[in-house]
Amino acid sequence: MSATDKNQLPDTAHTSADSTTHFGYQTIDKEDKVSMVAGVFHSVAKQYDIMNDLMSFGIHRLWKRFTIDASGVRPGNNVLDLAGGTGDLTAKFSQLVGKQGKVVLADINSSMLNVGRDKLRDKGLVQNIDYVQANAQYLPFEDNSFDIVTIAFGLRNVTDKDMALRSIYRVLKPGGRLLVLEFSKPEHELINKAYDFYSFNILPKIGELVAKDGDSYQYLAESIRMHPDQETLKTMLDNAGFEQTSFKNLTGGVVALHKGYKF
Amino acid sequence: MTAPFANISKQLMFPQTLAASLESIINQVLSLGSANSSLEKLGQKTLTLTLAELGFPLSFTVTSDIGVNNKALLVSSLTERADCTINTSLTTLRELQAKQQLTELIKQDKLDVTGDIKVAQKFANMAQNLDIDWQSELANHIGDVATHKLMQLGKTIAAKFNFAATQIQADASEYVVHEQRLVITKNQIEHFNQAVNDVSKDVMALEARIARLNKSSNN
Repeated sequence: MSATDKNQLPDTAHTSADSTTHFGYQTIDKEDKVSMVAGVFHSVAKQYDIMNDLMSFGIHRLWKRFTIDASGVRPGNNVLDLAGGTGDLTAKFSQLVGKQGKVVLADINSSMLNVGRDKLRDKGLVQNIDYVQANAQYLPFEDNSFDIVTIAFGLRNVTDKDMALRSIYRVLKPGGRLLVLEFSKPEHELINKAYDFYSFNILPKIGELVAKDGDSYQYLAESIRMHPDQETLKTMLDNAGFEQTSFKNLTGGVVALHKGYKF
Repeated sequence: MTAPFANISKQLMFPQTLAASLESIINQVLSLGSANSSLEKLGQKTLTLTLAELGFPLSFTVTSDIGVNNKALLVSSLTERADCTINTSLTTLRELQAKQQLTELIKQDKLDVTGDIKVAQKFANMAQNLDIDWQSELANHIGDVATHKLMQLGKTIAAKFNFAATQIQADASEYVVHEQRLVITKNQIEHFNQAVNDVSKDVMALEARIARLNKSSNN
């Protein structure tokens, strides 16, 4: 099956009524997905930042800046950086909320969390950051706790995305906003083809060379194709209860930033 | 900014690229100068600058109260947290470098300031008080002799550029004024103005004389 053919697969993250879900292009039991995704991120955690820079040519930093700009963060805000990984967003939020605010860096994967914590401490960011190992579907926070929740390049790895969105909605304060930064569907066919070629032919090789793990980056490419497109994800946000939902395509739709409010 | 350009700019994330570059440069410069006390005073304050030429805001936020060694200046396009917002243009910013211009520029509607103007003043003071010994900083990287030679070379090149600029200006003026006669000189304008004034006086005198003659003939 070619990469383009693979794009024609149903793009829902889990096969609705049954107990199976997708892990890249594989159909697996829902119960197995968490451990399989965990395996991927345990494997790549230490090389995660350098791989991000290599794979995106550094553009991921601009995507994250765009997310910060859209967050409307103010001094004193409480921010949850969900699936925060190595803490790029947390670092900026920590500086922007000041000592009156709080940022929680949450990730389901302990390896990623450890790398993130070490990195932020090395930068001297210690005062207003908490670290929590948490599953996005079952957030261990009180209702109405956060002014802003972000999930950057994490939602596609969640087993039950609808459940995670409902969980995020619960912990957001009224007036709070959710920002979902995630790979999406390129707007133009030409970009789509070039992107497919890059993802399935070059990306796994970079992964093999740098992180010594081509399979994890093959999963990355496949999981991006299986992730809901812009409109579908917007509908999922609506269904979870978010209002004034919208999205902005970045870099021709390779990535999209979805935004929704809780009122 | 026109809509297509704005769309391309958004797709290419020009605001974020510019903000990232500015942030990196400004923090490098701040680390060379003695701006720490100025940064302390501006903890968590944000100045938002919207330049007409750019079409998007640039917000400068000082983050001086978090952690160790984190006195920094973040540049973003966040607008919702501005303590002071300035809407202006690049040209006006240059005019602002001359002191005592602020009130005049506001009166002329070239500068629109909202929020706490003291925040803008503190940011301006911080920029003005930066005292950086560029030669010494360069010498730390490339050595004293190389820095000296480089500075000499820089001065020579600058002098040559100034000379060339003056020459080009003089030659261009000669060509436009005297050879092509496309514009006239200042002296010619003054002479023309003087001649117009003389004619005007003569006409007024003649008008007065005609009025007198009319009056006497009526009598």
